[in-house]
Order: sequence, then C-alpha cells, then structure tokens
Amino acid sequence: MRGGWVSIVALAAACQGQIGGELPRPSASPSPSPSPSPSASPTVSPSPTPSPSPTVEPELPAFAPAPASLRRLTRIEYQNTIADVLGPGLPVPTDLEADTTLHGFTTVAASALNVGPLAAEQYEKIALDLSARVFADPARRAALLGCAPATVEDPCVRTFLERFGRRAWRRPLTSAELDRWVGVARTIDLRLGDVATSLELVTAGLLQSPAFLYRVELGVSDPADPTRRAYTGWEMASRLSYLIWGTTPDDALLTAAEGGALDTPGGLTVEARRLLADPRAKVALGRFFAEHFKLDRLAGITKDLATFPQMNGALPAAMRAEIEQLIARVVFDRNTDLREIFDTRSTFVNADLARVYNLPGVRGPGMVEVTLPDNSPRAGVLTTAGFLALYSHASVTSPTLRGRFVRQSLLCQEIEPPPAGLITELPEVDPNAPPQTLRQRLETLHLAVQPCSGCHSRMDPLGFGFEAFDAIGAYRTTDNGLPVDASGSFDGQAFRNARELASRVKASPAVSSCLVKMAYRYASGHRETDGERRTLRALDESLAAANYRFQDFVVALVTSDGFRMAGE
Amino acid sequence: MGISRYALNRRTFLRGMLGGTALSFALPPLEAMFAPNGDRLAHGAEIPKRFGVWFWGNGVRRAHWIPDGTGAAWMPRAELQPFVTAGVRDYVSPITGLEIKTATHPHHSGMTGIMTGARYFELGAVRDTIATTFAYPSIDQVVAERWAADPMTRAPYRSLEVGICRFRGTDEGTTFQHLSHNGPNNVNPSEYEPIRLFRRLFGMPLDAQKDVARASVLDAVKQEIDALKPRLSMTDRGRLEQHTASIRAIEMRLGTVGASCVRPGAPAEDYPEPSGQEPIAAKNAVMSDILATALACDLVRVFSVMFSTAGAGTVFWQVGAVNGIHQINHDERAMGAEPQPTVHAATTFTMEQLAYFLARLRNTAEGAGNMLDSCAILCTSELSEGFVHTNDEFPILIAGKAGGALRSGLHYRSPSRENTSKALLTVLRAIGDPRPSFGYLAGETNQVISDLLV
Repeated sequence: MRGGWVSIVALAAACQGQIGGELPRPSASPSPSPSPSPSASPTVSPSPTPSPSPTVEPELPAFAPAPASLRRLTRIEYQNTIADVLGPGLPVPTDLEADTTLHGFTTVAASALNVGPLAAEQYEKIALDLSARVFADPARRAALLGCAPATVEDPCVRTFLERFGRRAWRRPLTSAELDRWVGVARTIDLRLGDVATSLELVTAGLLQSPAFLYRVELGVSDPADPTRRAYTGWEMASRLSYLIWGTTPDDALLTAAEGGALDTPGGLTVEARRLLADPRAKVALGRFFAEHFKLDRLAGITKDLATFPQMNGALPAAMRAEIEQLIARVVFDRNTDLREIFDTRSTFVNADLARVYNLPGVRGPGMVEVTLPDNSPRAGVLTTAGFLALYSHASVTSPTLRGRFVRQSLLCQEIEPPPAGLITELPEVDPNAPPQTLRQRLETLHLAVQPCSGCHSRMDPLGFGFEAFDAIGAYRTTDNGLPVDASGSFDGQAFRNARELASRVKASPAVSSCLVKMAYRYASGHRETDGERRTLRALDESLAAANYRFQDFVVALVTSDGFRMAGE
Repeated sequence: MGISRYALNRRTFLRGMLGGTALSFALPPLEAMFAPNGDRLAHGAEIPKRFGVWFWGNGVRRAHWIPDGTGAAWMPRAELQPFVTAGVRDYVSPITGLEIKTATHPHHSGMTGIMTGARYFELGAVRDTIATTFAYPSIDQVVAERWAADPMTRAPYRSLEVGICRFRGTDEGTTFQHLSHNGPNNVNPSEYEPIRLFRRLFGMPLDAQKDVARASVLDAVKQEIDALKPRLSMTDRGRLEQHTASIRAIEMRLGTVGASCVRPGAPAEDYPEPSGQEPIAAKNAVMSDILATALACDLVRVFSVMFSTAGAGTVFWQVGAVNGIHQINHDERAMGAEPQPTVHAATTFTMEQLAYFLARLRNTAEGAGNMLDSCAILCTSELSEGFVHTNDEFPILIAGKAGGALRSGLHYRSPSRENTSKALLTVLRAIGDPRPSFGYLAGETNQVISDLLV
C-alpha cells in the first residue's frame, strides 16, 4: 500500500528509490507456482536517478506470443452474455461476485482467478433460475427450443442443443458433447418423467459448462512455427466480441468465424469495423478508459462536508459520467485524435457539477454537453472535477496523488517502492510561523529533503499544476489565504497552469505509448511480456499513423500478432 | 434455535449415491452417528468446534492495546475495554509481543504472515508498490480443508466469508482485496451484502426432485472440466481443479437443507450510505446475526469476517474521521496526550464491532453453555500500528474456548518477540489439529503457547 511517501505532510525518513523510466524489467511470471518467489524482495537502489535520461532503444527481443490462459467472464461480460443467449427481458443477475482487479484491470484478474465455491454456487443458481423462467413462458420456451419435443429422443432435441450450444459456447459442440447433454436430458427425463424439465435443466447445464463460464481460447499449432499457436476463427470471434462489445459473438460473427473470415487480418478488420460501428462498442470500450482512470473509486470518495457544501450523494456519479462522456465524445462520436481528451473544451455537466464549475444556466440531474469558454481554467479530462477529486484528500488536495497518477498511469513511468519498514515522522508545526500554501509546505517537506525529493520531484511538481483546483475540483485562486502558484515544468517544458500542463502531457510521446500498453493489457488480459514488446512498438506506430484515432487503433490491435497468437 | 441434522442427511445421501439411488434416505439410529461422549445438543448431536478469523486492517494503537498484567489478571486498556463492556472479557485472550518473521513489506508481509505463516507471493512490482497474492492457503482454509475431509467434522458449507466495510483499498493483488485464500490467486471472496448472504444460506427452497436433476447436470459439468484439462497449462489445470472442488461443494449439499433449523428473519434489502457514510455498525450487527445463526444451524463450521481489508481506507465517520483510516494513520499529527486520537477512536470503534459479534455468539445458548464456548476465533490485523507500519508487536486476540480446549481470558506476553505463527499453531491445536508445526521458512514454528491450551 502506498504509505507515507504519498502523504501530503508526512516527512519520509528514507524514501529514496530508483526512478524507472521505460527501462526493460524482467516480466513477472504470469503463473504463480505454489512456492514463494525468490524474487519477492523489493529492490531498492541507493542511487536515485534525478530525471529520466534519454535512453537508446535497445534491440527488442524477438516476438514471442504470451501463453494462452482461460479467461473467466467478468461480471459484466457474464451478465451481457447470459442475456444475449437467453433472449431479452429476463432480469439481470446481480448475485455475482465482484470482479477482482489485477495490474489495473479486471480482465487481467479474470485470466488468473478461479471459480471458487461461492461463484460456482452463484452460477448454478442463476442458470437454474433464468432457465426456469424461460421454460415457464410458453412463447419463450418455443423460441428457445424451436420445437416441442414429445420425447428426449426427438431429433429436434439434438438440433436445439446444436443451435443453442453454438451460441452459448461460441463454437459448435462436438458430437461427444452433444451425446453427453442428450444423455443428461435422458437421465433426468427417466427420473422425473418430464421432457421439458429435463431440457430446462440441460439448458442450465450448458450455462455452467467451462465452455460458457470461461473464454477457452487455446489456439492451434502453427505448422510454420512450432513455437506459437494461432487462435482459431471461433476463438478470434470471442476475442473480438468481448473486447469491442463486452459480450458473446452475435450470429453474424460466428458465421464469419465458420466461413474462415476471421483467419486473416483483412477479414478481422471487416468484422472489427462492423462491431465498432455498433453502439455497444462505446459502452464496452468505455470500460477500458473507466478502469484505466479508476473511475469505480469515485463511488467511494468521501469529502469533508463542512469544507464542501456543494458535495452531495449524487455528485460522484455526475463526476464519473462527465469523464466517461467526455472521452466517448472524442474517441467514439468524433473518432478523432484521442489525445484531445487532454485539451478538449467540450464536456458534460449537470446542475450539481455546473455549480462546482460555476457555470450558469444548467438545470436538473441530466448531463448536458457544454463548451467551456476559451478563457476557462479548464480543458480536458485532467481538469474535470472527477479526476481532481479522486486524487485529493477529504478536505485538501494532493499534488502527490495527482502528479503520481499522471506520471505512473498516464506516462507509464514507474516509481520504485520505498524501502520496507519506512517510518514516517511528522514534523512539528511552529504555530508562530507565517501561513503557507500546501505547495510551499511540500516544497519544504518533500522536495528540499534529499532522500525524499528523489521520488517526489517526479510527482509533486506535476501535481502543483493542478493546485488551482480544490479537493472537489472547484477553481480557486488562493490556498490558505495565499495566491495559488500552479506553474512548473514538465520534463523541462514550462507551464503556467493546468491547461498548459495538460497540453504538455498531451504532446508527450510517453502518453500515447502508455495508452497503447494499457489498452493491450486490458484487451489481452495479461501483463505484457518482453516477447510482446515488438507488438507494442508496432501498435505505437499504428496509432501515430492513424492520426491517433482510437477506433483505428483497436483494429490494429485485434489484427496484431500479439492478439492473434499464443505461445506454445 | 434449531439444530441442523445436516451431517446425518448428507452422509445417508452419499451412501445412497454410492448405492446408485440418490434419494435413499434410510436413516440409521441417531446414536450410531455420533460419539458416545461429549456435550450434546438437544437432538443428541455433539456440539461441534468452530473456527473463525476476524480481521481488521491497519493495526491498533499499541499504547492503548497492550494490557497491563499477564495471565488471568490482565487489565484492559482503552482499546480492549469494549470486551469488558460487552461482558466477553473472559472469553478473550490477548497475545502480545509476537512478530511476523517474514516481514519485508508492511501490509503485504503482515497480511500473508498472519494468515499463512509465510511470505507473500509477488505478482509484480508495479507502480510505486508491489502486487502480491498468498503463497499458501489462509488458516481458515487450512482448517476448512481438514474438516471437509472428515465426515465427522464436515458441514454443508466448507466455509463462509463475510465482509463488513466496503472495499476501499488498492489493486495490489489479491492480498489487498481478499482474506480467504486456497492458494496463489485462488480466493474465496467475501460477501458484503447481508441480504445476499441470507439468501445464499436460507433462501434456497428444498426441492428433492430438482436436486436429482441438478446432480446429473453438475456431474456433466465436471466431465467437461475433466475433458478440457489435458489441453491446458499447468496453471489453468490447477484453476479447473478448484472449479471441480467448488462443484463438489454444491453436490455435497444436494438433498440436504438445514431442515430442522429455524429460519431467521430476512435482513434489509439495502444498507444505504447517505453522503458516503457507511452504516458500519448496523451491517456488522446483521452480518453477526446471520453468521451466528448459520453456526447454530451447523450449516458451517469455518468462517472469516473481513471487517476491513489490509491497508483499508475505511472512513470512520462515526468517530469524526473524514479521510480514510490508512491515510490518517500516516498523517495524523501529535496532539496532546494521545498522538493519534482519530486512529485510537477508530480502533476502539472496530473492537466494539468485534465485541458485538462475540457477545452475539455468547448470547446463543447451546447445550449447557453457549456458542462462544465451542469457537476458536483468531482476531487480528496486518500491522502493529499504522503510524509506524511495522510487523512487530502484532495485535492478536484469541476468542472462545474451543469446546474446552482453550483456556480463555489470559494475556500472553511474549518475552522474546516470538513468531506470530506460534499463536496460529496454538489455535490449530485447540481445535484438534495435530500438525507438529505451522508456517514456512522463517515463518515456521513448532511452538505453542502452552498456557492457553488445556
């Protein structure tokens, strides 16, 4: 856990750490073995690097795809999938485990975690419940079965299993699998003497199969290269659909898979563009940005109500909606340079948020698009109340948290953990000393102290750029009664305020390559390996070549070698 | 309070399965099913032992925690006063002065050290910290596995996991999001919603006919898992083995429901949080009630309550806090006699919640005594105190009498910073686990706190 080194006032006694840029580091093992890792000790370099030195790009290792792994459907993927295969109008199942997050994303955890006793129980209960609802409704039942079998031996039972199974499992069932489920239906029918109930239970069974609950994407051996496996057309259909739609492939995509269209980059491109044109893409790919910006945490923010009377129970949801809609406008509706999320003056507010922004004339809880005036202190996602409030404390801002998010999450520049057993000591405050702004205090406590400045000089000065916004993101010109100084420099480039800082961030090559890396991690469901660095570099180039349009980048991603192949 | 006859049902059910007819409930005489001696419940069943973990994040304030005096004569300081107030002081044994012997990172080492007796398994050094998981099963699952393997100690649910305060932590691996682990990246997530826990335990209507059909379906699912395994990596095979075990857990419950158990009233559908203020005490109370009922019905014998996660940022508005408690631990300034008044007040509040739970068990009559008599509950955190973020002077309480195997109400003060695993091995011995040692590498010990064992 972040400790005293993120504290706004704590003076870390020994917080030296090595500042990592984009230097290669050994990749973590994606598959934990049951014995403790010998590399489990934090490494701390005694010689902090004051600033990133331009590194000569070393020759990248040869492309080697990452090993395949089962991916459990995430909570939302499960909900979407079960609705798609059973038909509309059924209740959305909510008695499901919350997703775990790993390396920033639920999709990465979904590739690592298991179906434990609780999840197995929940999956069974939901499958039984929804299947019973479908079979209790004659119209629904007929639509699902496509016939009214008098006995289990009726050929239409097998036809139903073939059709429903292909939809639920995203691939055709083998004859052995069909035999198995016909056999289950027979057994149940013999016991209960009820064909319909037996098929109801078999339907629930198909929804508990590993072929339904996991994305089983294993690939087939590539005859040209025995070290790698190519994902099959059926598997690519799932990879495309879950990434772009957050749900199971539709019939058209399965048909494309069956016809071999997904075996080539050209065919994948056609289908990816079709999926991207559907409204579901905006929702599903929006989840990548939401996870990347950690917007789920907005629901849990707590602000000091005495300091911020504008704060109310509905404000965090509006803050989240603003960021989601701002990004979606740039990335989907306008399909323009995605880096415009850092300086767009087009944003979305409701009455609560407009009050924080001091914008007149906005009424009601619904979000409306507004264009901020040219002289507004705000532009882009880094000046939204949501970002500024999320990376603040309850009553005061945190230049450290804000700067750290920019440095680590947006630029992918890692800061090593501080030494274990860090002891934070709180400095005595001299009650007779003149008042200081938070910036002045941190310049004394974090930046003027040698061991601390190693870390904090990489975070706090970026965060100072946002000091004209308080802990809920309202604009201010003073802090503690003194004028705010929001100027600084970003890796040698001066800025005077948050908008200029955001422009510098936008122009940084690190921002786009970091976004590529995070999107790839989210899409592939694993932490990128050294063998995939060539893929990442090629995707960097694709993004630039596409004038930074995200949708074109998604097409490049799904047709990349890294996304189409698995290690042997 | 009703008594479950689950053990009987399940065993006869299994016998039926072996005989090929799943629903043959030929009941042998009750007396044949149970040991001839021991304290008995109203229906004649022996009162089972129960094991639990009650965990809270960020430690305590040592100055208000470590009792004065040792042995039975200990005097509580402020943070242990809630146990006196709740009338359960004599059920609680504070263990002080132990330390985690595998400490390298305060939160991660503390969490995995106290739950597994081992160091964490590192998943990666990311951002400004590390992401880890447990290298080994947590102690609740160590017990659960052993008890599930024996028909005499098995219960319908192998274990229950309950969470109280909403998750306000970070994604530093499963160590920071979950308590109960079966192994690396293999977690048993906690249920945070009382209504969902209630429905899970008491909401499923009995339908013997459907259970037969369910058994066929679950069997087919297991076959499919087995058919898939050979195509997978070793890691994924391991994941599917857990999946199979999870399905077996369902199968064990088929044909059985806590039939003679009194169904408790349902909790509220929702616990709203006006302006982000969590109703922590209300949720703790209702979760305690549900858990106590599940234990009384013998639906489960192993449980964990994750009051808050390691390094949790819970906002204890009840004691005037506006920031998360983890941050306050780092930031709160010395003022007057108490250096960290908010941390101290939040710790006291947390112990009041634990005291409520223990009192709830104590107030549940069972046999000639009460349910807390049968329990052994490890109550602990992942840090000594948040202010220094260290793993020495670890806060540990052992609550309950383990069916008479534990001497309760004693303060054990380690003279030599002994291994925290010593407390864990002591609890394991009290519930009949004969293993010679517990823990791994530097975390391993073969020592017990003999004063606590009868």
